[in-house]
Amino acid sequence: MQQTTVGGTKKKMADALAMAGLIIIFAAYMFPFLMVVINSLKQKRDIIKSPFSWLFTIKGLSFDNFVKAFTQMEFLNAFKNSLIVTVSATALVTLFAAMLAYYIVRHKNWISNLTFALMVASMIIPFQAIMIPLVSIYGGTLNILNHRITLIFMHTGFSMAMSVFMFHGFINGNIPIALEEAAYIDGCTHSQTFFKIVFPLLKPIISTMVILNALAFWNDFLLPSLVLTDKELLTLPLSTYSFYGTYSADYGTIMAGLLLCVIPILILYMVLQKQIINGVVAGAVK
Amino acid sequence: MRKKVLQGVSFALSMVLIPTMLTGCRFGFASDPDDPNEEVKEEPIDTSLDTFEYDSSLSGTNITLLNSKAEIQVALGKMGEEFEKKSGVHVEVMPVTDDSPYTKVVSLYNSGNPPTMSILDTTDVIALAEEKGADLSDEDWVEEAEDYVTEVNGKIYSLPLCIEGRGVIYNRAVIEEALGETFDPESITTLEEFAELLDRLSAAGVKKPVSMAKEDWSLGAHHLQFVYETYDGTSEGAQEVIEQLKAGTMDLASYSRMQEFLDMFDVLREYNVAKGDPLGADYDEMAIDLVDGKTAFWFNGNWAWPNLSEAGAGNEDEYGFLPYFMNNDADDFANQKIQGSPSKQVMLDGQMATEKEQAAAKEFLNWIVYSETGQQMMVKTCNLIPPFQNNPYEPGDPLSRDIYEKVHAGQAFNASAIVPNDHWSVLGAAMQKYLAGRSDREELIGAIQEYWEEQE
Amino acid sequence: MKSKNNGKDFCIFALPGLFCFIAVVIIPFVYGVYLTMTDWNGVSAVKNFVGLKNFAGVVKDAQFWTSLLLTFKYVIFVVVIVNVMAFGIAYLLTRGMKGQNFFRAGFFTPNLIGGIVLGYIWQFVFSRVFVSIGETTGWKAFEVSWLSDPSKAFAALVLVSVWQLSGYMILIYVAGFMGLSEDVMEAASIDGASGWRKMRSIVMPLMMSSVTICLFLTLSRAFMVYDVNLSLTAGAPYGTTEMAAMHVYEKAFTSRQFGVGQAEALILFIIVACISGIQVYLTKKKEVEA
Repeated sequence: MQQTTVGGTKKKMADALAMAGLIIIFAAYMFPFLMVVINSLKQKRDIIKSPFSWLFTIKGLSFDNFVKAFTQMEFLNAFKNSLIVTVSATALVTLFAAMLAYYIVRHKNWISNLTFALMVASMIIPFQAIMIPLVSIYGGTLNILNHRITLIFMHTGFSMAMSVFMFHGFINGNIPIALEEAAYIDGCTHSQTFFKIVFPLLKPIISTMVILNALAFWNDFLLPSLVLTDKELLTLPLSTYSFYGTYSADYGTIMAGLLLCVIPILILYMVLQKQIINGVVAGAVK
Repeated sequence: MRKKVLQGVSFALSMVLIPTMLTGCRFGFASDPDDPNEEVKEEPIDTSLDTFEYDSSLSGTNITLLNSKAEIQVALGKMGEEFEKKSGVHVEVMPVTDDSPYTKVVSLYNSGNPPTMSILDTTDVIALAEEKGADLSDEDWVEEAEDYVTEVNGKIYSLPLCIEGRGVIYNRAVIEEALGETFDPESITTLEEFAELLDRLSAAGVKKPVSMAKEDWSLGAHHLQFVYETYDGTSEGAQEVIEQLKAGTMDLASYSRMQEFLDMFDVLREYNVAKGDPLGADYDEMAIDLVDGKTAFWFNGNWAWPNLSEAGAGNEDEYGFLPYFMNNDADDFANQKIQGSPSKQVMLDGQMATEKEQAAAKEFLNWIVYSETGQQMMVKTCNLIPPFQNNPYEPGDPLSRDIYEKVHAGQAFNASAIVPNDHWSVLGAAMQKYLAGRSDREELIGAIQEYWEEQE
Repeated sequence: MKSKNNGKDFCIFALPGLFCFIAVVIIPFVYGVYLTMTDWNGVSAVKNFVGLKNFAGVVKDAQFWTSLLLTFKYVIFVVVIVNVMAFGIAYLLTRGMKGQNFFRAGFFTPNLIGGIVLGYIWQFVFSRVFVSIGETTGWKAFEVSWLSDPSKAFAALVLVSVWQLSGYMILIYVAGFMGLSEDVMEAASIDGASGWRKMRSIVMPLMMSSVTICLFLTLSRAFMVYDVNLSLTAGAPYGTTEMAAMHVYEKAFTSRQFGVGQAEALILFIIVACISGIQVYLTKKKEVEA
């Protein structure tokens, strides 16, 4: 049957089929989020007894959960903390990783080979394996826990390997060395070449890395919980923890708190999303 | 540039969020019943009388209190504030933001920044006391606590914060309505009578009258530990069973309490409301079912009150405890008494804390035990049953009141089995398997025996 | 570049990143390896050197090997399903159909939420929502909670992991497809049997670098699954869904055998390192051939 096909109709059918499939998968993807949104507006009893029922069938539908989550989390303060940590760590790791990856790609010596090998290997170290030693070194020996700057530094260090890995791949495949050679002939130093010529070309991968790293930092629970104990410094995920009791959880508030945490990052993603996709396209056209 | 984008986003966001939040207030959140951290009805504290002597040289000291009892987080904060008003000592209450208090304490010690005081489980205190704890044997409150203090090699390192009791919670109204007669909890004295009652309730419309949690801490700690605790109703007796098990000198299958325990467990299992899917049971739903009358019994402890109250139960409703019936001998103490023993303990850091911090922490502990305000707040704000006999205040909720009355009437036994930290999770899993009907007695008992023989 | 500038270049370009990395990852890791040879319990001030005693403890820990076996099974399911699905969806999302940007953004949303929270959401969905749907509709599949049956709970774990990981991989595959030239895409879009052959002989080799990255990422992430494991099933029912990383954590903290837990973490690391190494070697070889 395939040999007599006139491209058009067959392609349309295939597209329609693909679209239908996509929509079904997509709906399944979104289902848990829908549940969160619906239940964040309900009271606990209704959440437990009828989690699936729609909004209008339930008696007490209100924004109470949001109000409570907002106050109990000390949202604005936690938001500020999360923002400072996320922005600084993301900026640092993006810059350092891009430079380090650039160095590794352009200098083929034993240091760069070793570094790269170490980094790739380190991506598979379970965090549990370094958790206690980490805390014991930074807390016990150096005694610098409970500062934002320590958390920023650690975030930077932990996401370095992954970021270098991604930058490395991109530079390797997409940045022609000829451009840099031309710059050297024009008398540029290595730093000037990197910041003026290479860095702008990294834009697509930078957008991707910014969003991925920012997400990881914004959402991370385990590391901040080890580093920060001072109430004033708690980040958003840490502050939602107070909704979990020893024996039972306050579902409604948790879901409202969860949405409050996600909204900022959702907006960031929407803002950068166009850039990411554009960046990828630009990179593809070369 | 990217920073600017983020700042812009955050600004835009706060502009969007703030009005929403403000209009949200109209719905009123002051007396929201859904909050586990908020006492539903807070009783007023009378602070007019205060005969406690404060050491003014300690004013200005900062101390920290690590709280592993999440449901009293807010209440403890209030206590800290009240204490600061009087003494000038600032108490920062830190929640455990991790799954285990022990892990949290260990990482805090490793970070060189341990809390001055930690609220821990008894096992944790025993594990940490000699290494980290300050010796509290000479504190005055030791005498008030009598049998409820925990000794580690002859010394006391912790203040028992509260007594908690557990058993089969009943909802009197449900039983009376279903059977059409007055229900006297004291009339049930044996397992047989209990099973008969369940049978009658079942016939009267409450088809499956029992709720039991599937959680491993409930099965592995709260259920299973009756096997050790009912040896003779004392902590020493429980310890003896455990020593024999470790040494391999006890055959668990022929230990009568083991079989008796499973007899009771089987009865509960048979009438479990979630019998079709016992491992799918939901903890929060159990509270609702008991209040609504879908069930009449729930195996749990007095800490379940906030859940019941959230589900609609009031202080005037009649809830109470039946013992964990072990056999048909009405004279057996296990069929007469409720298990009630100290659960959370406050340990004082003796390693990193300065003299002054330790003194301030000791003052705080004394304040809890001796000051009029501290005594009231323990009972009314935190809703705890204090193990100190000098505290004249009675708990307000029916469950705590029942435990309190039973403790004072000699109808409670105080036996704490000190088991390894993974006991609840390892054997909780074995119990889950039994609960789901996927293993038999032989396999379960084998697993328990094996667990103990592996211990050093 | 000129070699005389090498030292200065190193300091400017490599040092800042390398310093963070070594200080936060490598030094604690090495220190952790040292700790596996001591009897440190995580608390005490004394650490006695005990050699390989902790590794003997690992050999004796039957539950660890069970959980490792389960982890292998889990990794196979997750890696295959995630990559096939992500590859397929990415392919569909680069054909220029309507709303593809919307879909790309949508599929990525699970990544906007941290793993622990994701697990809790799904736990709620599996234990409350699905059961409630089952009660109303009478569907056999949802009659009892998936999380109370060992094999269904395992399936739930795989499902949630696929849901969580695929968005990320879709992004990488989308970037890969967009890097292909128009001609290649045109070739790939011809339907029918010859299309499949072209897909295999033309498109696949060009996509191999994306495949390498995605396989590596899914492999290592699946091996180290912890967050979702903890919050979705926490090993339930009766410990049948406890994966290796979670077991390590339990061993170190709940059972308080810190040295043994640390040694198990090290063994896990070595296994993952070997498997990912082999995978990267094999797929890289394909890239070169192409």
